[in-house]
Amino acid sequence: MSARRIVIVGGGVAGYGAAMAARETDPDAQLWLLCAEDALPYDRTTLSKQVLTEGISPQERLLAPAEAFRTARVDVRTGARVAALESAARTVVTEDGTRYAYDALVLATGARPRTLSAVDPQAPVHYLRWAPDALELRRRLLGARRLAVVGAGLIGLEVAAAARALEREVDVLEAAPQVLARCCDGASAAAIERLHRARGARIHPGCRIERIEAHAGGARIVTATHGALEADLVLVAIGIAPDTALAEAAGLAVQDGILVDARGRTSADGIYAAGDVARLPLGVAPEPVRLENWRHAQDHGRAVGAAAAGAERTYDSVPIYWSDQYDHRLQGAGLLPRAPARTLVRDYGDGTHATFLLDADARLLAAIALDRGQDIMGARRLIAARAPLDPAALADPAQPLMRLAKQAASS
Amino acid sequence: MSTGGTDTVVLARADDLPEGEVLRAVVNGKAIAVYNVGGTFYASDDVCNHGQASLSEGYLDGEEIECPLHGGRFNVRTGAPCAPPVTRPIKTYRVALRDGLVVLADPAELDAS
Repeated sequence: MSARRIVIVGGGVAGYGAAMAARETDPDAQLWLLCAEDALPYDRTTLSKQVLTEGISPQERLLAPAEAFRTARVDVRTGARVAALESAARTVVTEDGTRYAYDALVLATGARPRTLSAVDPQAPVHYLRWAPDALELRRRLLGARRLAVVGAGLIGLEVAAAARALEREVDVLEAAPQVLARCCDGASAAAIERLHRARGARIHPGCRIERIEAHAGGARIVTATHGALEADLVLVAIGIAPDTALAEAAGLAVQDGILVDARGRTSADGIYAAGDVARLPLGVAPEPVRLENWRHAQDHGRAVGAAAAGAERTYDSVPIYWSDQYDHRLQGAGLLPRAPARTLVRDYGDGTHATFLLDADARLLAAIALDRGQDIMGARRLIAARAPLDPAALADPAQPLMRLAKQAASS
Repeated sequence: MSTGGTDTVVLARADDLPEGEVLRAVVNGKAIAVYNVGGTFYASDDVCNHGQASLSEGYLDGEEIECPLHGGRFNVRTGAPCAPPVTRPIKTYRVALRDGLVVLADPAELDAS
């Protein structure tokens, strides 16, 4: 039998992980990693932080040096944008006409920023997803006095923190009544908002934007709720949409993400999907979910890459994320429930805290913490264990959460 | 900075570190993660050599510490990398137990990088 040909589309951490895990699974497979950007896979988490504040080049933060791909015999192609997926012929075609025949295909195409309508094309409005976006945003920030950020999600707030570190004036406009509504409980969101206000960022929740106009070399944001606001520069960070164009054109089942099973298999034979672009079943979720965090992208990419190379491997995980803002670290574990039966805040009295969201049986569903990373690591295990917990112990700062997690694991 | 050959460098009180747990100590300005694996103490650099993560905030699973951000793992006894994305060993320190204190067996190891 000839060597299995595995083609991976996408040079983010999911695609990178898929390639490396495929190699570990099948020493004989032929592996191609097609990266749309003109760069080897790099750490995207720096784009909203160190690239802006310190001007480091994303090229300095590669996920692996070039020789690692040679050692692993991964044929990595940069600037390789896939134009067509011919699933019947088991072939992908890049824009330059190169055809890649595959036995297994992994789609790790990621996501792209959601865009705001009603924006004057002349207005200095930016989005942030790829290295050139971050480099351009830094260049413009250095020449700007005032930045407006549309969207108080993790990316918007990280950029706001970076701009404050550069001593730029910052306004953050958010449609929801609180910041971080998608990933935080009220207490954690309020703590983050206080942090930003203390550092001089102006946060405007409940803000409804009508349009963004070009104005005096900058932008004028017209709102229905907060009047008009001027800025030299606008970053729009209102979430991402999965990049499913290839999959849809090829007739794969797509529903805000490419639908996959626990092995990453799509509805088409021999085609897998991993990372931000995939919608997958998870033990902690009643319905298939799409996740947008680094750790999932890495771990799911690796699991699916191994599966594509023939491993009998299923994926399950309790999601976790982190976000660095100023000199603080926000972390979360689990899926934020719409309506937790009970919310407990463990207040350490030093500005740090952890919030626990429980169901009606006192089982932990999610945890969010500010500067309490170990609590999140413990909470992640407790969420996976799905055992009823003692609310008093959870709320008590004197009881290390890791100890509770280890007790739960051994009982 | 020299730590001197005969000075005792205390990392932790043994009583403060139950089995299966990890804590962070700062000695001579350097952050060290101290582990208790089944009653035996180990120590390594606290800052993960892959990213901006503190290993003492990670999950100690037997002899392996899992990085709280990226999920990389090191064997705390040998320093060997055990799971991606970490690829290089973490620096470890030999420790000794003296009068209920976990101390560096050889403080000169702090100076060697």
